[in-house]
Amino acid sequence: MDVSSILDAQKAREQNVQVDKETPFEIDCGHLMVTDLNPIDEESYTENLEEHLQNLARDGTQALIGALFGLPTTKSDYGPLAQLPSRAYQLPRAKPLPKPKPQTKWEKFAAAKGISHRKKDKRVWDEEKQEWVNRWGKDGKNKQVEEQWLTEVPRNADADYNPQLAARQERKERTAKNEKQRVANIARGESSSRKTELEKTLATTRVSTASMGKFDKKLEGEKKLRGIKRKFDPTEAPVGNEQKTALKLISSMDSDARKMRKTHRGDEPDNTLNARKAIRFASKGQGAAALAGARGGKGARGGRGGKGRR
Amino acid sequence: MLRVVKPKNARSKRALDAREPKEVEDPRTVVFVKGTHTGEVLNGVFKDLMALKRPHAVAFNKKNDIHPFDSTATNNGTTSSTAASSTAVQSLEFWSAKNDASMFLVGQTTKKRPNGMTFVRMFDGRVLDMIEVGVEGYKPMSDFKTPKSTPGNKPLIHFASELFDTHPRFIHLKSMFIDFFNGEEVDSISLLGLDHVISISLSPTPSTLNEATSLLPSTYSADSVQANPLAAVASASYLASNMPSTGVSNAAPSSLPKVHIRTYTTKLLKSGVRTPRVDLVPMGPSLDLVLRRYQAPDSDVLKLAMKRPKLKKQDVESGLGKKRKNLEVDEMGDLRGRVHVGVQDLSKLKGRKLKGLQDERLEKRQRSEDGEEDSE
Repeated sequence: MDVSSILDAQKAREQNVQVDKETPFEIDCGHLMVTDLNPIDEESYTENLEEHLQNLARDGTQALIGALFGLPTTKSDYGPLAQLPSRAYQLPRAKPLPKPKPQTKWEKFAAAKGISHRKKDKRVWDEEKQEWVNRWGKDGKNKQVEEQWLTEVPRNADADYNPQLAARQERKERTAKNEKQRVANIARGESSSRKTELEKTLATTRVSTASMGKFDKKLEGEKKLRGIKRKFDPTEAPVGNEQKTALKLISSMDSDARKMRKTHRGDEPDNTLNARKAIRFASKGQGAAALAGARGGKGARGGRGGKGRR
Repeated sequence: MLRVVKPKNARSKRALDAREPKEVEDPRTVVFVKGTHTGEVLNGVFKDLMALKRPHAVAFNKKNDIHPFDSTATNNGTTSSTAASSTAVQSLEFWSAKNDASMFLVGQTTKKRPNGMTFVRMFDGRVLDMIEVGVEGYKPMSDFKTPKSTPGNKPLIHFASELFDTHPRFIHLKSMFIDFFNGEEVDSISLLGLDHVISISLSPTPSTLNEATSLLPSTYSADSVQANPLAAVASASYLASNMPSTGVSNAAPSSLPKVHIRTYTTKLLKSGVRTPRVDLVPMGPSLDLVLRRYQAPDSDVLKLAMKRPKLKKQDVESGLGKKRKNLEVDEMGDLRGRVHVGVQDLSKLKGRKLKGLQDERLEKRQRSEDGEEDSE
């Protein structure tokens, strides 16, 4: 049997879907992109533009489709799915890379111990009711004791012991504890920036002498500061400059931006007297009320309807 | 800037979380902005480009007094123009934050620059780079009485010309167009859904541009173009901007070849082999563009924008990022691996114990021991 004719036909078919170019196509399957790096043929371009463009596009698309059909596929309801490789051509991102979240204390511990996360279901099975109930929220399992109509009271309980209130308090404490831990975790996550802040402050204080810390006492293990140079203003400078620097300094001293402690009472700017301490001393620890009452007793009676307190 | 909103309920929290930076990003949402005057041509172009870009497109239908380029071009210009420009950048940044959009297409037609479109790409809410093109020829989608692509299907993209690999302006343009037309990053695609192709090709390279490679920095090589194509653009434009009296828009635009954008639907014909034969039918729109002003990305910002996530340990083990050793796909498409076993130590091999094969001396010793025990 002569199969050469069949083989020739098959070869012709294969050639039919192949495109040969001087420079091979650059194909990026991840982007579904093909780049034809051959120079544009001027003759065909001027002859018939649309036909030339369509031929160019057809050749490129044929090569790209050939590459895509050559990829490994999986079956699906919508026909074969080609598994695309990752993108070779890199595009700039639209947003910066996401920052990794700081680990919570529990997560750190779980990672060290090799405990894997187990997600709790929102609903749990209630044996008594024989149905699924919410773990928390409306008619939640965590509120069962508070909401049941009859609760056993322990034998040694006080006379005014309220089991419902006690259960509620316990539950509220649990949520409060959780909230406290959440806040602590956030603070812990931010602590790294606090450290750098402290280091910066320390570096500033170390160079805040006239000699830029040259003659300061050095502690053991203290690192040498680098990149610090003394800088002098020129001896002769226009008066305007001097005025400007002086005004800048004054305004920075005056501004609230860098003040460490803010005075709470605006009406008493010179708050050298500690009023609370003075009252405590004068009333011998009785407080302001006692002081007022004593004075009221001595003075005009009934002036204020006998109220000792103001 | 937008005020920082703290979510008050779970739904708004989800909506805000969706805007957070992601490792694998969503496709860029493009806002189509109309300038103070857009002609009939630009309106048509916008309509058609939006049809291609949907669902990741937002239309601004009112006029906006916005001139993105005037800010950067006039560093020594009058104060009023710089103020106008800074507002342009500010409004772009504001819209970007408001719409969670990272790309803009600003259309404006003037006597000096008729039918101008500016592609603006953002990074982290700031303008990364811009390219202005002028529309010279336009044939709307409705003029082609042919089948159209399904909205949301990923297009195939085709570039034709060697300049896309050698000339900084066209490398830049290629990057911008891929970002504009390309959809989301997927790991698999239905082969039946490859229904349209966007072809971007250039007019023949003028002889003046044949030595265009000299524009690129010496460190530039063909391999680096894939990893960071825009780096060459950023550094090349840096060189150009150092030259006097060029500024942002260097190189006379008339010397650069035209850009032809054509869109076709694909017909996959049976060929007798696995790969089908492709036939194209024009779908529209078709655009002929000329390059005008541009602003290359700032190299520092670009560096940030090109940062990639670290490969996960799992992916590295499965061979991503490294060449896999001793693995190959044979002609049948099967993955074949070679496993190297160390030299086998045959002396430690344990065979079956047979009485006849046992050491004679051992037998004798055992026999003599038995004899001693007997004598005692």
